[in-house]
Amino acid sequence: MTWADWFDQLAFFVVAGITIVAAAGVVFVPRIIHACLCLLVALIGIAGLYGLMAAHLLLAIQLLVYAGGIAVLILFAIMLLHRRSDGGILGGTRNLIIGLPATVIVWFVVAAAVIFSKWHYLPGGGTVSPQADSNVRIIGELLLSRHLLAFELVSVVMLMALVGAIIIAREDRSTDSGQQVAGQQTGESGGNAQ
Amino acid sequence: MILPPVGLLHYLILSVCLFCFGLLAVITRRHAIGILLGIELMLNSANINLVAFSHFLSPPHPVLDGQVFALMVIALAACEAAVGLAIILRFYRQTTVTDVADAKLLKW
Repeated sequence: MTWADWFDQLAFFVVAGITIVAAAGVVFVPRIIHACLCLLVALIGIAGLYGLMAAHLLLAIQLLVYAGGIAVLILFAIMLLHRRSDGGILGGTRNLIIGLPATVIVWFVVAAAVIFSKWHYLPGGGTVSPQADSNVRIIGELLLSRHLLAFELVSVVMLMALVGAIIIAREDRSTDSGQQVAGQQTGESGGNAQ
Repeated sequence: MILPPVGLLHYLILSVCLFCFGLLAVITRRHAIGILLGIELMLNSANINLVAFSHFLSPPHPVLDGQVFALMVIALAACEAAVGLAIILRFYRQTTVTDVADAKLLKW
């Protein structure tokens, strides 16, 4: 084994370990805001995995959109809600009794399927090609040629989600505001929907 | 100790683990946002699969369709988070609960 192989293995196992531990934290940490911070760590670890697979554009987008956008959006939403005792999963023992065996079964089935499958490796797969720094150009060309329809459909879906989120989250001015106990946060939540 | 070089199987097993943690979060979390966190985790594990297949099963000259689809998944996950959080905030404003076990508005 060369030093490069050792470094590859070390990098993979360190990043994978951080990601797995953080993902476990998403499940088992009692406070929801701590779970969200664990998710943030897991997302950054996944960005590191993208980097190990030479997907540099996805690394940047994962950091910008997921870690910088979605995780912070969820954090803001948590801060808009009142903090009250959640109990995490410990309060829902019944769910845990059902959920843990089901999840373990799913893990074993899928892992066995992954291990015992015959993957059709092509020669040269898994190596970082010398023109890996031109991935951005190739992805851009693919987006605007072969996957143009999917690209346009995603843009339409994003527009609809934006409008829908604003409409859902804004205050209903026609209804009687006396019935709404916590209706004072509308300004923040309207901005939050974007 | 000689370990096999990091290959497709490593990434797939890691992705299975992340998916199962996300599934467990969806099943056992009682807070509505906790369920959303689990869904984000599952979407990310699917993304790892896409990028790993694109990296390990493609010929040396880059075939990057997997990364393009991972981009699509990221965009749709952003939409899902925005709409889901809007629904949770609206529900909280009407009922002042965030526990999904208390969401019984549509039960007869």
